[in-house]
Amino acid sequence: MSELMIEASNVSKTFGDVRALDGVSITVPKGSVLGLLGHNGAGKTTLVNLLTTMLPPTDGEAKVAGFDVVHQAHQVRSRIGLTGQFAAVDEALSGFDNLVLIARLLGASKRQAQARSDELMEMFDLTDAAKRKAKTYSGGMRRRLDLAASLVGRPEVLFLDEPTTGLDPSSRLGMWEIVEKLVSDGTTVLLTTQYLDEADRLADSITVLSQGKVVASGTSAELKAQVGQRTVTVTLESASEVHAACDALTKIGMHPVSEGLTITTPVAATRDLATIVRALDDNGLEVHDIALGEPTLDDVYLALAAA
Amino acid sequence: MATMTWQGTNYGTQLMVLTGRSLRKFFNTPALIFFSILQPLIMLTLFSQIFSSITSTANFAPGMTYVNYLLPAILVNTAMQSSLQSGVGLVTDMKDGVIARFRSLPIRLSTVLLARNLSDSVRTGGQLLLMIVFGVLVFGFAPAGGVLGTLAAMGLALAVGWALSWVFLAIGAWVRNAELMQSIGFLAMFPLMFASSAFVPTAALPSWLQAVANVNPLTYAVDASRSLALAQPVTGVVGALVTSLTIAVIGAAFAIRGFRRPL
Ligand SMILES: Nc1ncnc2c1ncn2[C@@H]1O[C@H](COP(=O)(O)OP(=O)(O)O)[C@@H](O)[C@H]1O
Ligand SMILES: [Mg+2]
Repeated sequence: MSELMIEASNVSKTFGDVRALDGVSITVPKGSVLGLLGHNGAGKTTLVNLLTTMLPPTDGEAKVAGFDVVHQAHQVRSRIGLTGQFAAVDEALSGFDNLVLIARLLGASKRQAQARSDELMEMFDLTDAAKRKAKTYSGGMRRRLDLAASLVGRPEVLFLDEPTTGLDPSSRLGMWEIVEKLVSDGTTVLLTTQYLDEADRLADSITVLSQGKVVASGTSAELKAQVGQRTVTVTLESASEVHAACDALTKIGMHPVSEGLTITTPVAATRDLATIVRALDDNGLEVHDIALGEPTLDDVYLALAAA
Repeated sequence: MATMTWQGTNYGTQLMVLTGRSLRKFFNTPALIFFSILQPLIMLTLFSQIFSSITSTANFAPGMTYVNYLLPAILVNTAMQSSLQSGVGLVTDMKDGVIARFRSLPIRLSTVLLARNLSDSVRTGGQLLLMIVFGVLVFGFAPAGGVLGTLAAMGLALAVGWALSWVFLAIGAWVRNAELMQSIGFLAMFPLMFASSAFVPTAALPSWLQAVANVNPLTYAVDASRSLALAQPVTGVVGALVTSLTIAVIGAAFAIRGFRRPL
């Protein structure tokens, strides 16, 4: 078993009477990516804050890079990078100066700081905007600058709190590629997300958090096996046909659930889509829309609740 | 990729880099520079014009020009206003997430406050120098204390501002709300300024205001600064400095405690 870079045992955090984290344990081996999956309010940010020494736990212990997050906070901070849920950049400084500042605070000389900042601006495709104040950056650029800022010291462990929430699809893809590149260079990553597809693509293992508790964990494949793969959603033209459509689908071995004009059913393979269309057509049912959906976090929760 | 990693640096470098950053931020924001000069300048202009004839009244020493009387008070007041901006600046940094970034770095948190205080003192020093230059060139400020007396008066104002900056950093670190800070600052400073010896000798005030002015610390700060500039028998300079130091130490202790609390 390789060295653990993140190790939380039974950590809890309460704010007044809100139990934001309730006995959470996770481990992340060196060089791997843990995806922390959960809806708003699940406790993702609280766990990240705890592991990055921003908040002390109410209970339990955690180690990052082998150091205790409470008693050896300084050592932890020397080894981690944090990209929080909200960009932490100095708007009145240029993007380049933001990075130089951090490099200098980490102990780089002026020359080294500038060289490292140039390198990162290049890597994050910000070279053209390097001398502009961060205030003028778009949301996606700001996120990239923020991520660049957390990489200045070449951290061993990187924490990314919802790195793609609010980004357009192409910026999102760009962010994924950057994370993949970092991982291939050996960085250990903990990332939080609300999207199963993101965790699926980036994470070696996934931990699902709900109301401060770990409700599932495993590899992406293991989780998806629990979720029951993908779903097909059929929208009908008329409400009077919903019942007949459900019957038709049940007859071909599906497990449809209806709500209003739409019927949702889990499927095993893409070709089931054709089977469904045929079954509905054979029964003379008018289909308004049919779509194959990737499982979402909601499906994970549903499957877990059903299990 | 190069494999050089940095894991932190000494206190002195942290302080220098962070102070430089605050100053750079100030000089990067023209509106901030503009208003930090304009405000005391308006005050100097207005008061010196409105009250210019007041020096013929009995409460002023014969031959005293009003601008000589006023400028030391403007210095103290400017330093005081500037100290409020210190706290506001800290709160703004907290809101913008800059402080969140600093917190994730291996630096001592107290350096962030020290740097803020230091850079604001440098900025205040610049403001005070400008006011003196304006006073001399435009309004005929020519105090009996000469250059040395004026610089001493400025130094005293700076000490007061430095101490109050710790107070406002403490308030900022606990309150964490810029609008509230501005209101608290205004409410505290505005009456303090008028119920003091800043614009007229306390003897010229109605008796109830006189009573307030006599216990108002600002009166003592202004009197001390004025006595240096005007080469009068020096009153309360040591007292003002000791008081400033005490306030600064207490303010700093509270500021650091408040700042350590999670964001
Ligand atoms: N500083 C705080 N004070 C009070 N409650 C908080 C605080 N931070 C988080 N919470 C509460 O803790 C729970 C978990 O929040 P959070 O960790 O931010 O969730 P997530 O990041 O998964 O959306 C939520 O109910 C939230 O309201
Ligand atoms: Mg969050």
